[in-house]
Amino acid sequence: MTGRALRVGIVCPYSFDAPGGVQFHIRDLAQALTQRGHFVSVLAPADDDTDVPEHVTPAGKAIAVRYNGSVARLSFGPRMAARVRRWIEANDFDLLHIHEPMVPSLSMLALWEADVPVVATFHSAQARSRALQVAYPLLRQSLEKIAARIAVSEDARRTVIDHVGGDAIIIPNGVYTSAFTDVPPNPAWQGQKLPGLDDSPTICFLGRLDEPRKGLPVLTQAIPDILLRYPKARFLIAGKGDEGKATALASLGAHAASVDFLGGISDSEKSALLSSVDLYVAPQTGGESFGIVLVEAMSAGAGVISSDIGAFRRVLDEGRAGALFRNGDSADLARVIIDALTDRPATQARREHAATWVKRYDWSTVTSQIEAVYDMAVAAQAAIPPPVKGRSWQA
Amino acid sequence: MRWAEIVLVCVLVLAVFGTTLWVTANRLDRLHRKVSASRMALDAQLVRRASAAVDLATSGLLDPASAIVVADAAYAVLDDDATISPGEAVNRALHADSLGDQREREESTLSATLRSALDDAGDLAELNADPAGSQLAAALAAAWYRAQLARRFHNEAVAQSVRARRHWYVRWFRLAGYAPMPQTVELDDNEGNLPLHHG
Repeated sequence: MTGRALRVGIVCPYSFDAPGGVQFHIRDLAQALTQRGHFVSVLAPADDDTDVPEHVTPAGKAIAVRYNGSVARLSFGPRMAARVRRWIEANDFDLLHIHEPMVPSLSMLALWEADVPVVATFHSAQARSRALQVAYPLLRQSLEKIAARIAVSEDARRTVIDHVGGDAIIIPNGVYTSAFTDVPPNPAWQGQKLPGLDDSPTICFLGRLDEPRKGLPVLTQAIPDILLRYPKARFLIAGKGDEGKATALASLGAHAASVDFLGGISDSEKSALLSSVDLYVAPQTGGESFGIVLVEAMSAGAGVISSDIGAFRRVLDEGRAGALFRNGDSADLARVIIDALTDRPATQARREHAATWVKRYDWSTVTSQIEAVYDMAVAAQAAIPPPVKGRSWQA
Repeated sequence: MRWAEIVLVCVLVLAVFGTTLWVTANRLDRLHRKVSASRMALDAQLVRRASAAVDLATSGLLDPASAIVVADAAYAVLDDDATISPGEAVNRALHADSLGDQREREESTLSATLRSALDDAGDLAELNADPAGSQLAAALAAAWYRAQLARRFHNEAVAQSVRARRHWYVRWFRLAGYAPMPQTVELDDNEGNLPLHHG
């Protein structure tokens, strides 16, 4: 589909010692680009003895810092800057793809050093930060090097418009949807999908149990109402967090008998779980910019129910690919779950729409879009090469 | 205050101001190149889209009426974009402030024509049923999507350049030199119902 193979340098600001959404996105992107014949090298903070994915060059130990409301493992300082420069010089890239350039870590350093076309991806949706406002004049020259800006969601794009100025195009996070389709279900987790079990549905939750914004309390408070209508319903709760589990058990009381806590689960258990259950519930109350598990659940064929926060509404095609309930409202969640279990043709129709809808989030689509951005970024610099080659003092 | 101190302060102020002007002039030059280069990339990509439209029109897979209007709209773009030497192209790009109203109108017409020729789900399904047809449609979609991206990126660069040139000292000291004030490229590149990037 595209022209020549490119040498792409991807910079990740967050440590692979404790991987999260951005790191997984970068790992999968590197793999997808390599499969299409590009050369990819990823620079990321990681201890030298951390087991990192293929393509990743560890930049050294990250420091845990409180930044933007949560603890992040970041890398900075003059030694890191030197490492970034050496990595850029050694690899002779056609293009740098820098993730979260506004995070004070490797990305910011790489943008500072870059003298090839730069594509930047903004992942997070964050409130306006005073630190960034102060730093903005220092960053402006670096930010002007960016040839193309990508935001992974509408919320992330809003953040770019408010914080950085200007605009960004939206390319969502990729998901290997095929890893979730045609996964053999686990009968232990199946409910209505098995013959004769119409009155014993299974409903699952995935996420940290002790992080309130993941919304487990919203679900636990809805459980008694659901059990009134479906006494044999089972709730499968997957995720880590002992404190959250204790709180949930305390609020459930006798209803706890209908709830299985599965603890932390592996990727393959996750895909089996989503392929087996009748409903996947995402009661997150906010702070989500995308909703990758929703895409995975849609790919696996689970009926999806989520809170009506902006990011989830868009992922669920405004309710056409999954049912929405009023954010934080357990009574409304119970009503929507009961409706979905009772009106099964409607749930089935949403699942069928979801099966087509999720294709836009598949890595094959997303990689093509990112390749198109690379093409345009490289073309724009190739047309008129910059005046000074190498690192100029005002970089 | 002694004379020596006054002179020293004046020299320092002048040095800081001079450095600011120099840094700003460099920045403006970089932005000017970025604007011109991204306009050239956009121009080239729009030409690729028009060529893909010509390929589709001459493939014999469209009905004759659609083929003629699509070819007419696409040739209008291609004729406007006369071939010149690469050096001359760079030179022109550095001295231009936009793609030109006429070109923008022609590109908008091409978009509208392609939409009306292919917008119907049936038209596209028929085209995609033929292996050659689906290849031509994919090439057109890829070129079109890239043109949309190129225009967004170019307009972003224009906005940065215009912002940088607003300052009083840029205007007073003519730091932008003879570079014309760039204008954003405004044209209709909406794909309507055509699936540009979901395949």
